[in-house]
Amino acid sequence: MKNTLLTLAFIMLFKLISVAQQTCNTALVITAGINTIAPITGTEVPTQMCATGGSGATAANWYKYTPSQNYSVTITTDFVVNAGVDNRVHVYLGSCGFLACLVGDDDGGTNGLCVVSFNAQAGTDYYIVFDDIYTSAGFQYELIENSINPSQLTFTPTTISTIRGNYKIAVADMNGDYLDDIVSVSDTNIQVHQQDISGTFTISNYTTTDAQYSPSWSMAMGDLNEDGYNDLLYGSGSGVTFMLSANGGTAFNQVSGPEYVFSQRSNMVDINNDGHLDAFVCHDVEPNVYYLNDGTGNLTFYQGGLGDHPNGGNYGSIWVDYNNDNLPDLFIAKCRGGSSTANINEMHRNNGNGTFTDVSVLTGLADPVQTWSSAWNDFDNDGWMDVLVGASSSANGMHKLMHNNGDGTFSNITAGSGFDSYSGMSTEYVSYDFNNDGFADVFTPGYILFNNGNGTFTAETYSMLMGAVGDLNNDGFLDIQNGNTIYFNDGNPNNWITLTVKGTTSNNNGIGARVEIYGAWGKQIRDIRAGVGFRYMGTLNAHFGIGLFNSIDSVVVKWPSGNKDVICNPSINSVLHIEENSAPVATAFFTASATMINQADTIDFTDNSIPCPNEWNWTVNPTSGWNFTSGTTAMSENPSILFNDAGTYVVSLTATNGNGSSLIPFSTAITVQSTVGIAELTQEAIKVFPNPAADLLYIKSDQTISEVRILSLLGEELASSLKRTNNSISLTHLPSGVYFLKIITQDNQINITRFVKQ
Amino acid sequence: MKKVISFSVLGLLLLMFLDACKKDSPEEEPSPVPTTPGNETVTVNLDSVPYTNLSQYRFFTGDMKNNTPNDGVIQYRPASELFTDYAHKKRFVWVPAGMKGTYVADNKIINFPVGTALIKTFYYDNVQPANVTKIIETRVMIRKSTGWIFADYIWSEDQTEATLSVNGSLVSLDWEEAGTPKSTVYRIPSETECLICHKSNSLPIPIGIKPQNLDNDFTYPSGKFNQLQYFISKGILENNLPPNIVSTIDYHDTTQTLKLRLRSYLDTNCGHCHQENSHCDYRPIRLAFSETTDPVNLGQCVTPDDLFDPTLSNVIFPGNYNKSMMYFRLSSTDENNRMPLLGRTIVDEAGLKLLRDYISSISNCTD
Repeated sequence: MKNTLLTLAFIMLFKLISVAQQTCNTALVITAGINTIAPITGTEVPTQMCATGGSGATAANWYKYTPSQNYSVTITTDFVVNAGVDNRVHVYLGSCGFLACLVGDDDGGTNGLCVVSFNAQAGTDYYIVFDDIYTSAGFQYELIENSINPSQLTFTPTTISTIRGNYKIAVADMNGDYLDDIVSVSDTNIQVHQQDISGTFTISNYTTTDAQYSPSWSMAMGDLNEDGYNDLLYGSGSGVTFMLSANGGTAFNQVSGPEYVFSQRSNMVDINNDGHLDAFVCHDVEPNVYYLNDGTGNLTFYQGGLGDHPNGGNYGSIWVDYNNDNLPDLFIAKCRGGSSTANINEMHRNNGNGTFTDVSVLTGLADPVQTWSSAWNDFDNDGWMDVLVGASSSANGMHKLMHNNGDGTFSNITAGSGFDSYSGMSTEYVSYDFNNDGFADVFTPGYILFNNGNGTFTAETYSMLMGAVGDLNNDGFLDIQNGNTIYFNDGNPNNWITLTVKGTTSNNNGIGARVEIYGAWGKQIRDIRAGVGFRYMGTLNAHFGIGLFNSIDSVVVKWPSGNKDVICNPSINSVLHIEENSAPVATAFFTASATMINQADTIDFTDNSIPCPNEWNWTVNPTSGWNFTSGTTAMSENPSILFNDAGTYVVSLTATNGNGSSLIPFSTAITVQSTVGIAELTQEAIKVFPNPAADLLYIKSDQTISEVRILSLLGEELASSLKRTNNSISLTHLPSGVYFLKIITQDNQINITRFVKQ
Repeated sequence: MKKVISFSVLGLLLLMFLDACKKDSPEEEPSPVPTTPGNETVTVNLDSVPYTNLSQYRFFTGDMKNNTPNDGVIQYRPASELFTDYAHKKRFVWVPAGMKGTYVADNKIINFPVGTALIKTFYYDNVQPANVTKIIETRVMIRKSTGWIFADYIWSEDQTEATLSVNGSLVSLDWEEAGTPKSTVYRIPSETECLICHKSNSLPIPIGIKPQNLDNDFTYPSGKFNQLQYFISKGILENNLPPNIVSTIDYHDTTQTLKLRLRSYLDTNCGHCHQENSHCDYRPIRLAFSETTDPVNLGQCVTPDDLFDPTLSNVIFPGNYNKSMMYFRLSSTDENNRMPLLGRTIVDEAGLKLLRDYISSISNCTD
């Protein structure tokens, strides 16, 4: 009897459980701990698969989990007791009938078992679904709640179902607003999800002629025809197609060469330093090929001179300025089986005149490790680009972290770096600062190796695989595209700056430019690159995190043309656009502690030039009768001058900043009175404003003004008038420029002030 | 039987003659057959090959498009053939008169003498719209004293001549395969593409002409013979074969085990790159027939190097082809995913089914 009751109770229980978890609406509420899942018989099979493995399930069991506080949750079935079970789990957000995938897992555990982790928010319902695609037997699982590590970076996967095309491999700006767009390509179509400032996407489709070659191996983007819109390069296994923009980026014209190219990584870069963007394509089985651009998008094919191994082996080209000469050099990650030298990595130094020197051995980068791409960045912020040579196979050695010594050589610093114990392998390695802590990280499918800033890296697992990287919500934290899923970076309190650049003398995209930021932490650098990793095309913007520092002293862009732009004190947590040669040179300005003194008195001059002057040149006319004091010189920022002889002096300052010297000096007249028989003068207060002025210049004085004259910088008198009613002088007749205003008071005191007419 | 013996005797005599020659001038290449106008014998002059036109070799007699072998040109066919978008193939070997190839190992290319030519014609039947047979190309490998060279001849539209091409090209094709319309853009390989598969330690080599692939019958004009024995009888192969040759089989032969069929299929379709000293030997699998006795070399329970898709967790996942990277690769037509890397743009449904059946038939790593 007892037995029967027990059995009955068991049956009832079983029935209850099996009914309870059959559908979303009857999902069984679960909490943390080890639980047993009944055989999978649920009648509601989810339509949206969050885990890989595709559709085909015929039954699914539903569970609902609502955490009481924020947790990092792990669901695992990876237990020995589950041997023989091959299960799959989907985790959804939302409500029944309106579910959206959060995460899923198929084989994250051993032998077909699954492990999935996600960040769960207090009070939110999470639907956890196991389906029967492989086996329908019951099993044990554990739901583990871990407190969230506030420093851990998380990504939220978001499905954008409207992304269509065979090749969803590019994220870069298409419409010239420097916001990263999602570019998806099919043989006869280019689809753009244009990022709007509001955070939404506007979809455009541009029909193209049937692409002779598809971007089956890689894609690169850049403005070849210099119309302000990016063009596309498709690298296929048998040739290369260019899609050149027309009609303001609303149409694309195909150019496909007859040449056989077994494309691998492709890039856009100004190879011959003529200011026009060129294209480079790694050739798998022959010497590399490139296309030189005449500036209108007319491309001429070349083969030879940039990695000429007869059997190729070229997989991951990346253009990086390794020797800080502002010219992009070519590193090639190489791979080849058999007894061959085609797998030895190459570095080609850009001589700046269209020729390159093979420095593979000289640099110490001639490594046989089988690699398809390598991640370049300045991992230790010493101002020199380092490289993580990422292994695709362990056959000829594993990953190598190579430190740029700054003298043209690299040292192997893998030991103890974390890459020595990282056993994952991939064809894809890229470097960005994902957590904005000011140290460049390495991303490879399923992992970000976070740079700890002390020569070590810590690998953290993520569900995203390799994809195009860019900032798809303009929040300063880099996101990752995986097909129709955007992994939006959830960010953290760290500060950042994004720099968008436009070349004028240099190529339009500023590709090859070195971007530097300076602040209390020291220096960080980036190169503008088109084509990193193996296959994908990512953002052309330079992205920096600065940790919790809250200001940046200056941003420097060193263009491939040799031009340089310096911007001081940029706003943080914002995007700064820099056009080549647009950053202003210094405008000289200073104040004097007095302009009328007695013989043998000293005047202290205070520099007020803007922006960010770093050199000063003071002159005094006449050149005698005075001397610098207090240890200051003509090059001091704030000099002091002792005037020995009576007379009138003109003190001038030429200031220089990172962008150049002030075009015109700033000058002030100093009157030095003889102390013999003359009463000491008091410094009058005369103010002239506004300065710069538009049409009217106002003069405010305690004293009665008898005469006002406008002088050129050469002292030539130009005009004279004074509307005494409102103490203003009309400037409407004056051309824009810099002038002196000479004011003579009723008691014949002279005041000379410099002003700018706008 | 008598005929066979007489051939062997002739071969032996020739061999002795050749040995004598060799002693006099060991470095010398065999002199080509003198070419005089009207001479219809095969001519492979090592100083001037590759010729501009295929006809210059005189590999074929009569109407050239029929590929009727000339004297000394011997047809053969490996037990399992490479799938190249359903192209049909005819293969021939020609060895300079009086010379022989020698057996090296079951799984090694027969060591043919300098001067040997291997000829392989690629053609389609039922090519639309005219529903005709169309020869695309004839690939020739010739062994010079410095090693094997490639020479690819593209057939003219009128199918009367084929001309040397080293750069490769594309041909759009529509045809009917067993009644089903098919189309492809057929890739005629460049010289460098030939080398991707046809190499060992970066040096050019033939692939199919191994004892393991030829110890089976082929129907010659004179009758059905074991191909290796036929080679011996024709005097192009030294008669020193071991009694047993560990052999591949025709993967279509459903009387054979799934494993043997798959191993034969993988050898001919994949083994040239996935074996020691080859293009892709940095990957963990080894798919040459002699290596796949070990299930680890087949990729069973082997984690792929690349985290590509977490579901594709093994190269071969016993019992589940949807979790097997090899199945994914064979079922893909994307250039960057498909395997083999070259030679096909269409899925080989028969090969894929074989792999699916094999994976479904096993449940353990060691099966």
